[in-house]
Amino acid sequence: MAVRARRYQEAKAQAGTNLELAWWVFMRVSGLVLVFLVLGHLYMSNILINAGKVEYTYIAERLSNTTWKIYDWAMLSLSLLHGMNGLRYVLDDWVRDPARRFWAKVVAYSLAVLVFFVGSMSLLNHDFSKGLSENTRLEQSEGTR
Amino acid sequence: MYRGREGQWAFFLHRISGIAILLYLLIHVLNISAAMWGEEASKSLFAIFHIWFFRLGLLGVIGAVLYHALNGLRIILMDFTGWGVKYQRELWYGVWGLFVLFYVPALVKIVPEIVRDITGA
Repeated sequence: MAVRARRYQEAKAQAGTNLELAWWVFMRVSGLVLVFLVLGHLYMSNILINAGKVEYTYIAERLSNTTWKIYDWAMLSLSLLHGMNGLRYVLDDWVRDPARRFWAKVVAYSLAVLVFFVGSMSLLNHDFSKGLSENTRLEQSEGTR
Repeated sequence: MYRGREGQWAFFLHRISGIAILLYLLIHVLNISAAMWGEEASKSLFAIFHIWFFRLGLLGVIGAVLYHALNGLRIILMDFTGWGVKYQRELWYGVWGLFVLFYVPALVKIVPEIVRDITGA
């Protein structure tokens, strides 16, 4: 059962297991980090540029840069863990029937694993620099050296 | 339906915004990752996500993220300071103050872009 405490000491008393207490702490720590990562991401992709004009080239350039790969992968892993654990609290609260709750979790976790795998592939495995023009590629390689 | 005071609304909105953000996150990651299949795959997906309906939806997602982030900071203050719980209502009004402070300028920047891109002016 999700820990509902305000204050670490109460959370410790309420948490049935050490794992549940660890999730309680994780939600606070990852949340604080995500405030900066995600608001920075929103600022870069909606304020500095026009998000409605984003096309393949922008993605290919961004995903060819090592710094953004690390930034995006940190954001991807933390936000998926934070979001899926949040969803687990919600399902525990709102889906009362144990069988339906079990299957809702199976579907949700499977989807999260798929999205994490596909997202990680695009960040860590796929070489987007191949499709870029020679000039862009040179700039990119200088930028990431 | 919740008919509680500020604290309950804060909790309820935190959940709803969290679920909305998670749903967007899953779609967003798959959408961006589609670039692995090449420029054409990206193009056909962006043709959908650049429709005015989805661009307005994105404004909603930005608002949801901003509220969730600011109220999350409020929760952290409630959990880890001696005074956070006592002033949780004032903190919630602080959340909305900061929300307006950040969200209105973002709207001022983004809404005209959407209007311009849609009308083709």
